[in-house]
Amino acid sequence: MRIIKSVKKQNKETKKFKSIINIALAGNANVGKSVIFNQLTGLSQTIGNWPGKTVEKMEGNLNFLGYRFNIVDLPGIYSLSTYSLEEIISREYIVSEEVDVIINVIDATNLERNLFFTFQLLELKVPMILAINQMDILLKRNLKLNFKKLEEIFKLPVIPVVAVHGKGVHQLLEEAIELVVYHQPTSHYNQDGKKIHEELSHDDRKIKNNSSTKNAFQFPDLYSILTYGKEVETRVNDLIKNIDSYSEHFSRFNYPSRFLAIKLIENDEEIEKMFKANQETTYIIDLAENYRKELEELHGEDINTIISSEIYTNIHKIIEEVVIVKARSEKRIVWAEKLDHITTHSVWGYIILILILIGIYTFTFIIGNFLGGKIEDIFNGLSSFIYNFYSENDLGVKIFWEGGVGGIFGAMGGVLVYVIPFFLIIEILQDSGYLPRAAYLMDRFMHFLGVHGKTIIPMILGFGCNVPACAGCRIMETEREKKISIALTSLIPCAAVMTVVLGLVGRYVGVTWVLVLFGINFIVIIIVGKILNKILPGECTELIMEMHEYRVPNYSVIIKQTWIRTKEFIFKAMPIIIVSGVILEILFMFRLLDPVNFILSPITVYWLGLPTITGIFLIYGILRKELTLVLLALLANSMGTSLLGLLTPFQMIVFSIVTMLYIPCFATLVIIAKETNWKYALQIAGLEIGFALLIGGILNLGFLILTNL
Amino acid sequence: MESRTKKSFREHNKGIHLIKRLMDCTIGEKLKVLRVDAGYHAKRRLANLGIIPGVTIIKRKAAPFRGPIEIIVKGSLLVIGRGLAARIIVLPENSK
Repeated sequence: MRIIKSVKKQNKETKKFKSIINIALAGNANVGKSVIFNQLTGLSQTIGNWPGKTVEKMEGNLNFLGYRFNIVDLPGIYSLSTYSLEEIISREYIVSEEVDVIINVIDATNLERNLFFTFQLLELKVPMILAINQMDILLKRNLKLNFKKLEEIFKLPVIPVVAVHGKGVHQLLEEAIELVVYHQPTSHYNQDGKKIHEELSHDDRKIKNNSSTKNAFQFPDLYSILTYGKEVETRVNDLIKNIDSYSEHFSRFNYPSRFLAIKLIENDEEIEKMFKANQETTYIIDLAENYRKELEELHGEDINTIISSEIYTNIHKIIEEVVIVKARSEKRIVWAEKLDHITTHSVWGYIILILILIGIYTFTFIIGNFLGGKIEDIFNGLSSFIYNFYSENDLGVKIFWEGGVGGIFGAMGGVLVYVIPFFLIIEILQDSGYLPRAAYLMDRFMHFLGVHGKTIIPMILGFGCNVPACAGCRIMETEREKKISIALTSLIPCAAVMTVVLGLVGRYVGVTWVLVLFGINFIVIIIVGKILNKILPGECTELIMEMHEYRVPNYSVIIKQTWIRTKEFIFKAMPIIIVSGVILEILFMFRLLDPVNFILSPITVYWLGLPTITGIFLIYGILRKELTLVLLALLANSMGTSLLGLLTPFQMIVFSIVTMLYIPCFATLVIIAKETNWKYALQIAGLEIGFALLIGGILNLGFLILTNL
Repeated sequence: MESRTKKSFREHNKGIHLIKRLMDCTIGEKLKVLRVDAGYHAKRRLANLGIIPGVTIIKRKAAPFRGPIEIIVKGSLLVIGRGLAARIIVLPENSK
């Protein structure tokens, strides 16, 4: 089905282009994949989700030399096993019909580790280009690579790249064209090959291929570098024989039989499922298990250690051949070392972490406030202008203006202006390499909450928006840790909550109370972590994480990423805000809110001591938390007073703490349910509502007692 | 195969009092990995990242408050939780 569809799609578009080439960028984390992706696709990128999964899918396209390129940036991974959802998604996608060519991005300064992943990719036998990135840094370290040799070994195009300067990036696409058109790689580095290559590059008469590139491509014979030791190899070959006799069953999975055999011997759960799908092939699983046991007995190691060390041995041989040491002195970047030292220091590290968190808030708030004020001024100016024309009693105008246009301005001035600087600062933190340092520092403390240090990364992201942050909890390796991380992250006061707290308490009550509220919030996080750690079965796993050297953030990547995230936000969040604004305006006019407020009044009025009207605001706040403040402001406006005329300072404090804690917003709930299940999402919601009412009530009682003394 | 096992066994005996857990090693020490006593998933992950018996690693840093350990393996930096670092058994290189 899929094939037919893609062919149809191709036919439709080939009128404009010579052909469509689908490329997947694959590689370890932090090798410059996203820089290359940005260089190639520019602003055409979109962020989506993998079908049915919560893993982010980055897509983009460009037209180059008359071809249409669709490019997907795969998540950064280290292996094609089943360690994380990202690994499973990546390997399934690479072998699917949707990919014509993979570009494997390799960090030249970390060849050994990177080639481990390359070796796994090679087993998939998909047309591939090796992009060796960060060649400039390698040179600075007085090292060189023998590209001619590399190409002789891999028999696939091997291209030097300096992604940050855009060097070699477009050559990757030229290579892709060649692979697609000629179905075989040509060498660049020996004289003959070079000539042929140049001739081919300037000749695209032969382009006529309706068959899939993958099927037509003659994948080079790499047996000499991919073979394991004899013991392993004989067993793998026997499994291949068995698999091949059921090729009808296995061909639909698109994996080469050798890949299946290796993974089966490695005890790969996902691959085993394919064998279980057919009654006749289940015996191969037992066969593989026997072989695995034999091998483990023979080597005295477990199977993953055996296979990994065989691969690393093969890689080591290649490295010896291709790396040329010009001088022995290895230069490291001094400032990066110093920065690393100070940001992981036992005292300074924590101070810097706190400063960064404060910095995120202040930066977001100062810029947001400034722009927000300007947008509000514009709206007020326009408002008086409009009402000069029409009477204030004109219902249609009022709904349109206050609800519709007011909603747009409110969303821009109240939300967007805070979200943009936040995205910007998070991208900087991410790109510079700071976040893993925070995980390193916090690992020990996060263990108290039943998770390891990596949880701090989604939690820091949660300060901006809980929705992507909760989705980001997939970096946690076990179900238990994911669940705890999600619960903790959903309690982090996001930018929206921050606007409410700062806009109400910060503005009208004082900074001290803001700090008290945040303090309460963090105590709740610790309590929830402790509770979940007790309740959920299982144990806390250990941190395993790669750390990267600091680098100067790439401004073009940061700006593009910020823009793309903002774009997503505009399309996803703005409509809700505007529509709810209009609905609310109508509800107000016809006094339809009274029953809801009446139902909620035992809680809002008697327990929390808030005005009746806040009941509906809290309901709206489930949609988006900043709506509570936006609506309060709207109401105050329509009543012709300021927020102080609506709420006393005490009420503001109670209202803010309830808004902070009472429930993750609707979008966060959806993500939590997607990542886990609805039962868990509702449990979290229940727990948080409980905490919000408990603390809100206690504060209210405290205030009552204080004022009556 | 047999010879390899014997050899590593001999090495074991030779430095038996020098064998340490990665957790207990001093910072800056060059270490040879002897064994990883972790569970299936952690072990596979570590193996994929290059921590396999026979490989030389350097302990680079230890986080404050008995936090995780940072090591250099195959030219890249890796952070490992302390509990796991207790299950990676190493032999200091210079003790041969």
